[in-house]
Amino acid sequence: MIAQSTVSGKVTGEGEGLPGATIRVQGTLVGTVTDIDGNFSISVASDAILEISSVGFTTQVVPVNGQTRIDITLNIDVSQLEEVVVIGYGTQKKSHLTGAISKVTNKKLDQIALSRADEALIGQVAGVTVAQTGEDGVGSDPTLRVRGVGSITAGAGPLLVIDGVAVSSDFFGSVDMNDVESFEVLKDAASAAIFGSRGGNGVIMITTKQGVEGRTKFTYSTFTGFQDVKNNPDYNMSVAEHANREMAYNEAMGNTPLLSDRTRYKQLIGDQNWQDVIFDGGVITSHSLSVRGGSAKTKFSTSLSYLHDEGVLLTDDFKKYNLKAKIDHKVSDKFSFGITVNPSYTNRRRFDGSTHDILRQEAWLPVYLDANTIQYVDRVAYPDAQIGDYAVQTMFNNYDLNGDGGEVDISGTSNTNPAAKVLEKEYRDFKFKVFGKFYANYKINDDFSVSTSIGGDMQDTERTRWQGSEADRRGSSRSFSYFQNSKDVHTVMDGFVNYDRDFGNHSISATAGVARETFRNEYSDVTGSGFEFDYIETLNGATVISGADGYNREKTLLSFISRVNYAFSDKYLASVSLRRDGSSVFGDNKKYGMFPAVSIGWRVTEEDFFNSNIVNDLKIRVSYGVTGNDNINSDYGNILDWYAYSALLEAESAITEGAVSAAFNPINIANPDLQWERSFEFNPAIDFGLFEGRISGSVDYYKRTSEKLLLEIPVSGVTGFNEALVNIGEVVNKGIEIELRTNNMRTNNFSWTTTFLAANNNNELTNFADASGQILSVDSKRPGEWINLVGNPISSFYGFVVDKEIPLEYINDPFSTVGGKAQHVYVKDLNGDGLIDGDDRTILGSPYPKLTWSVTNEFRYKSFDMSFMFQGRHGVSVRNIADEYMYNFFESTSSQQFNPATTPDQGFLKRKVLTNSIIQDGSYVALRNINIGYTLSNAALEKVRLYNARVFVSGQNLLYIKSSDYSGFNPETIRDEGPLAYGYNRGGSPIARKITIGVSVDF
Amino acid sequence: MNKKIKIMKYLKYIVLSVFSMTVSSCGEDFLSPKPISSITADTFYSSEKELETAVINMYDGIQGINSTSNDDNHGVQEEYILTEMRTDNSGTRSGEGEPARLESYSVESTNSTVANYYSSFYNIIFRAHVVLENLGVADSQRDRFEGEAKFVRAYAYFNLVRLFGEVPMPTSVVLQDNEGVLFTRIGTSTIYDLIVDDLTTAVANLDNTYKTRASQAAAQALLAKVHLTLGEYNEALPLLEPVISSMEFDLEENFEDIYEISNERNEEIIFAIGYDGVNQTDSQLFSAEMTANGRTSGLNYLPQNMISALENIGGAERAAASYQEDPKPQYAGFFQTKKFIPNGNPEASDPTIGGNDWIVLRYADVLLMHVEAIMAGNPSTSDGGAIASFQKVRDRAGLTDLVTTITAQELLDERRVELAFENHRFFDLIRFGVAETVLGDWADDQGYNFSVTDLLLPIPQREINLSKGQLDQNPGY
Repeated sequence: MIAQSTVSGKVTGEGEGLPGATIRVQGTLVGTVTDIDGNFSISVASDAILEISSVGFTTQVVPVNGQTRIDITLNIDVSQLEEVVVIGYGTQKKSHLTGAISKVTNKKLDQIALSRADEALIGQVAGVTVAQTGEDGVGSDPTLRVRGVGSITAGAGPLLVIDGVAVSSDFFGSVDMNDVESFEVLKDAASAAIFGSRGGNGVIMITTKQGVEGRTKFTYSTFTGFQDVKNNPDYNMSVAEHANREMAYNEAMGNTPLLSDRTRYKQLIGDQNWQDVIFDGGVITSHSLSVRGGSAKTKFSTSLSYLHDEGVLLTDDFKKYNLKAKIDHKVSDKFSFGITVNPSYTNRRRFDGSTHDILRQEAWLPVYLDANTIQYVDRVAYPDAQIGDYAVQTMFNNYDLNGDGGEVDISGTSNTNPAAKVLEKEYRDFKFKVFGKFYANYKINDDFSVSTSIGGDMQDTERTRWQGSEADRRGSSRSFSYFQNSKDVHTVMDGFVNYDRDFGNHSISATAGVARETFRNEYSDVTGSGFEFDYIETLNGATVISGADGYNREKTLLSFISRVNYAFSDKYLASVSLRRDGSSVFGDNKKYGMFPAVSIGWRVTEEDFFNSNIVNDLKIRVSYGVTGNDNINSDYGNILDWYAYSALLEAESAITEGAVSAAFNPINIANPDLQWERSFEFNPAIDFGLFEGRISGSVDYYKRTSEKLLLEIPVSGVTGFNEALVNIGEVVNKGIEIELRTNNMRTNNFSWTTTFLAANNNNELTNFADASGQILSVDSKRPGEWINLVGNPISSFYGFVVDKEIPLEYINDPFSTVGGKAQHVYVKDLNGDGLIDGDDRTILGSPYPKLTWSVTNEFRYKSFDMSFMFQGRHGVSVRNIADEYMYNFFESTSSQQFNPATTPDQGFLKRKVLTNSIIQDGSYVALRNINIGYTLSNAALEKVRLYNARVFVSGQNLLYIKSSDYSGFNPETIRDEGPLAYGYNRGGSPIARKITIGVSVDF
Repeated sequence: MNKKIKIMKYLKYIVLSVFSMTVSSCGEDFLSPKPISSITADTFYSSEKELETAVINMYDGIQGINSTSNDDNHGVQEEYILTEMRTDNSGTRSGEGEPARLESYSVESTNSTVANYYSSFYNIIFRAHVVLENLGVADSQRDRFEGEAKFVRAYAYFNLVRLFGEVPMPTSVVLQDNEGVLFTRIGTSTIYDLIVDDLTTAVANLDNTYKTRASQAAAQALLAKVHLTLGEYNEALPLLEPVISSMEFDLEENFEDIYEISNERNEEIIFAIGYDGVNQTDSQLFSAEMTANGRTSGLNYLPQNMISALENIGGAERAAASYQEDPKPQYAGFFQTKKFIPNGNPEASDPTIGGNDWIVLRYADVLLMHVEAIMAGNPSTSDGGAIASFQKVRDRAGLTDLVTTITAQELLDERRVELAFENHRFFDLIRFGVAETVLGDWADDQGYNFSVTDLLLPIPQREINLSKGQLDQNPGY
């Protein structure tokens, strides 16, 4: 008889005890699980062999050999083969995946000082680009794209799914990062096809943290820190520097070495760095407390968090409060259910202005009048000006600078003080959101189970805007108070039948079900005006209710879903899915779309013939799928977006004989044939692992063709309309994604791993019907042009090519404004015909990045750990229209203009806004994140009854290297002028540098 | 074996119940919710009452939207920039912005004010076509609605052809694929034929019930103006005489009462576009734009030339009611029009919601057209009927000296000071054949660069781009 004894020990990984690790006696069903500290105890025969495994670590096999205490250290499984990945409506082991799905686990993502969950994805997944395009400061949403831009008018962002419920992407701003367990990005159509109707641009799934069986774990994390903006010298000429340049110019030209009146006067008034005023920096703080735990039958996860981000712009601010409760309960072996509820509340003050407009202020103007500047104020025009008032440019006109009775004017605009434009306004969003889900699973027998769920989200957004009397030069006649309320309720009900069976070498997993969704939106707004005083900012202080609006709208979706996953001997893998979606947005015969997908995989390393010492994992996979898009975002407005196929009339009115009479006005050209936009994607790939998993990675190639694009094409105004909504056009996105993970060094005390991601994307418009070659501009005062031409990206910059600048001697009054430059420039005669006309225009660049990459290094030395990520993008241009404002390209006065009497070759002059002078390189390389931490030793912790404590210092954007060609604040910012005129870079929120320190403890 | 069959049996029910739970109440209607905040056109226009809303809709189109966004059709609200400000009557206060291009004769084809007017007026024509296409449901008011729709269409085409020259001429609702109609510029004589035809129908079908909707007198006055523009003086006369002899209209006793906000639709008004200063919806922005409260800090401001004309030719009463010095101390020395002060109140709490109606046709204009018709293109006239009309206008203005002959120049000047800032000057100069000389001299005086091609506005660049070469641009752009 073989002796039985009790073996106990501790399983550690990455220097800490591993809870939930499995210890199994090989060849038997005997097993146990480690507790919260990684300890275990098991009764085995003395010749037993133990198999120790844990998610994310490589399994180890240890013979008992009569020992009673065995401590095991597990190694990180860099290839993450055993990892379980959440896919649509189910889970799958990473080794069995046949589609392109990337998983990002939240290891330290919640320690990045950011206010939105989507910002955490920067540089984490090859093929996913996150550009900080927001314009109004903290809390504004970035632009998230998976594999380039496919859709045009229909929203091009990926679908967001939280714990299995598809929600509006607005939820990225409300999710608590501390509660996120992992992100799964479904990149190819075959994986996203299960979400058919909205998967056309990829799907991002968030899985929130679950409770774990065992001791209840309390975790408290906090960080606090500071953020600011680096000074941008391109847009920041001081009065002193300006004076030097003028002096140097006068000397070079042999003129009298005297500064002009305007410059001398400006020197007297002041020299201020307006970027310091507007980019005032801010503090960011976060607190989060979570309680998780459970028993074998019940698991719970609750958390409470608070985030306050003061933003880097003057007046912007963001506060977020989050509460979550999640319970999963197994009633019996057959029946289990769960519920999750997550309310959140955000209070956001937006920067109510535009950085390009506010920062074009010349450096001489102060914010407030003081003892020095008050003496220059024109008392005739401003008899009431006092010290402490906002300084306005026109206050300083008509000054007798030379004491000779003459009057000097220096104002360049009659606008009010730029800081007043922002400080005397308030623009806030208050969002209350609830996301919830109730699910139940019933296991009929070993093979079949049914599951059903009811879930949804509700958002109540309240928006208030106030403009005070000092925010505009026209005073209180422009004051207004605006109040808007928008409520969105979205409910999803689904039911699925699941079949799981393993027999022999075959493994089948199938699911089929139905889902129905309803969306309802209720909107209203009111505007009050006629304020004489600023004391009361709410509507009851208005004397006139100058506007009111309100509407309701509804949308519905009905889907039939099915999928079969098949594996043979863990070697040959296949997955087939089919989804049929009906959307209320389309016409009667066009409501339904069919979205099939198929993917296959071959794990070459499982083959008997495959024997290699180097390659330990090799999988070849190919997928092909169809996804759709019904998310219309037209200029016509919200009502039309959801009833798009019909001819709609809206209520209007006219004044006849002094009274209001009702009218109904057609608002669109009807299109009963409006139908689903569809994308077809082909994705072959290789996943590999070398040297026992020390190197692992994958290479994907994809080609996605999006056709029947939902597009608002411009039409002739002679129809009575300016746009029509049609399905037209075809766009192809293709590219390569590379992921490489290496485990460079591993000893007991030191480890170093590197992750390298790179993605290349090419965007091409392959069909645009008659509209190919159409040219459009978005601002009639600054008519830079775009062209949508087949064979090129969806939209390309179009215009003239710069030849040379106009020599200063031909410019009238070249130093009239600080930092100003001439508006015109000589352009090249591209077709050599001796004159400049429309034929001398050409494509100047593409606004879609060609290459994005990131490199992350993680080090661990004893209790210290450090990780940092470099991230960059290349091959992209932007139309930096801020140059036009910052360098004062205006025609309002004849100064700073070329002299029409003396300038040669005037036929070769064009405004800079029409040329590649403002088409600049939008590439960058940034040190996105750096995180240095220290984990306190267990011995020290036990004394204060803590289980785990780590202090850390984290930095974001400490280095951000823009192209020298680019003169703006933020090359990533895009002003949304529609997809056909992409890449309009207009000021925007600047890139913020952040440093925070924080602590995370478990107790 | 038995157990398996049993499970299979129950399985059927379980599966069915799960499905039915989610699929229940999923009828055909689930995917076709009816719009709540708008109506679908396929079931509308089913009665005369509903058709009347389409008729009112035309006037809403002329009214335009009160907003500063160029994406909104502003209707007639910016017409003065394209007419008054292109003459010696007025200009911008500050010389900046796009309106300044109009006054300095350096308009580019991308000008947004020009493009907005073009879009607005074709939208008005579209609204008229909606009425004409649905006339079938009309009952007792059929003729009236037809008259109103044709009046509005003629009014819109008359403005377009005078400002742009040859323009596309749809005569029914036209869709975006009908490139033949959208991008073919029709000859001006054909367009005038349509205008004359439409207005003749309007004269026959309408009466004088309304002043802010089309009326017979409005159609007669407008048709007379069309004939005068074409040089058909003999055809203008029989249209103007009934308006005068009908005794339905008369001059206001005091000139300033014409524009008094509490006296809207007075006996002198023949056709006006109604506005209401209560809220944003039916109000206008031009009142504010004509003061320093506007977006461009002052449009339709007077040059010295105009001030002299008002003072010397207009007489004290008309001068006092037509213009004033800007009340803001920063803008002392600048002169603005006084006819459209927002809601009549310089201290208006929100001047951007103006309620002042826009006067299109009034009785004084009819009287002066009467003189023009009798003069018939000659350098002067001494006809009794002409003298009577001319005298009436001058008497009301306090200039009671007796008139014995009227020269063309005197008539032109009288129109200038009587109808100042009501968008007549530009068209008057063209009709009298002196536009080139007068504006040329004016441009030289101001340092602008004027040429005869500046008399027509450019077809908006957007239309040229969309036409892919089918549309020709006016010369000089």
